[in-house]
Amino acid sequence: MAATLCVKLLPKQGWLPLTQSVRHGSKAVTRHRKPMHILKQKLMAVTRYIPPPRVGPPGAFPSQNKRVQEDHPLMKILKKDLNKVFEDHKMIAVVQNNGSNAEDMMILRNRLYKHGITVKFFPNQVMRSFLKDSVYCNMSPLIIGPTVLFVSKEPKAKEMLKTLRASPQMTLLGACVDDTLLSAQGVLSFSKLPSVTVVQGELVSGLTMLTSTTASMLQRHPAHLSALLQQYVKQQSSDSKEEAT
Amino acid sequence: MAAPSKATVVLKAVKKIAIKFSPFESNVRSTREFLAMVGSEKARSTNMNCEVVTTVKHDKSEPVVDITYLDGDRLVMKGAKLTSREMLSAFQSRCTSKDPQAKTAAKK
Repeated sequence: MAATLCVKLLPKQGWLPLTQSVRHGSKAVTRHRKPMHILKQKLMAVTRYIPPPRVGPPGAFPSQNKRVQEDHPLMKILKKDLNKVFEDHKMIAVVQNNGSNAEDMMILRNRLYKHGITVKFFPNQVMRSFLKDSVYCNMSPLIIGPTVLFVSKEPKAKEMLKTLRASPQMTLLGACVDDTLLSAQGVLSFSKLPSVTVVQGELVSGLTMLTSTTASMLQRHPAHLSALLQQYVKQQSSDSKEEAT
Repeated sequence: MAAPSKATVVLKAVKKIAIKFSPFESNVRSTREFLAMVGSEKARSTNMNCEVVTTVKHDKSEPVVDITYLDGDRLVMKGAKLTSREMLSAFQSRCTSKDPQAKTAAKK
């Protein structure tokens, strides 16, 4: 009910009316669910939200635009360093150290430096993002937890293994030697291989064995040689005679 | 991963911890984290006689943590489907149950 002031009962200005009707029973905020006015009901029905039809469940298809975060400058510098490390050094070994203190590290570094192996630390995130882009992507599962890199220009596996045996906390996980990924056992067998020159010498001697025997035979006394050849001819003729009969 | 409830790992009742894993597998993360927590300086300083032996293999086998206690009990945890927190809580609960007297005396 709207508030009405009966105008008729106000003959003169300024007089208070005799009856005053008070508005009641039409509050907006009620404790119960107030039934909507029909007009409001119609409006709500007309403007109802209809979502676009989904092709599948929300997680079925991956999001189309993947947000690629740009590397911040420190990461770029570290990546450049890593790139240089991988280019310069032939052998890169990944070792996990759980709890070696400063003096152990110092002793280890000293021993390794005598053989030309340097110890490098890189943050795991940088390593992983670098490896993802480079050829060595299969090394990325090795980089978890506290890892250290042992890099050296010459692949000196034997000395490295000896030094690592001295410190119990360091565990060799794998190595990349001459662009080949090796496991721990691979590194062990690599260290047991003889050097390249020895292997080459063995190969050469095996190939030239036949020619060297002929050469030595020719170099002996010619009478000896002619006797041998005569014997050989006799044997051949006797064989052929046996075959014929 | 967040650190467990107690920062240090107390190895008083442990004789030997042998951890085997193959680092090229994808399920070794929790085992390696467990190893890092157990092999840290603080943990090792609680018991200098306890050996932590790590074997790195390449045969696609599951990562296994084998703990031998001082009274001969063995705890074998296969870390392929476990988180490091679960492994650590299981290990610590057994440690405290094995060695309650020394711990409670130290706490009091």
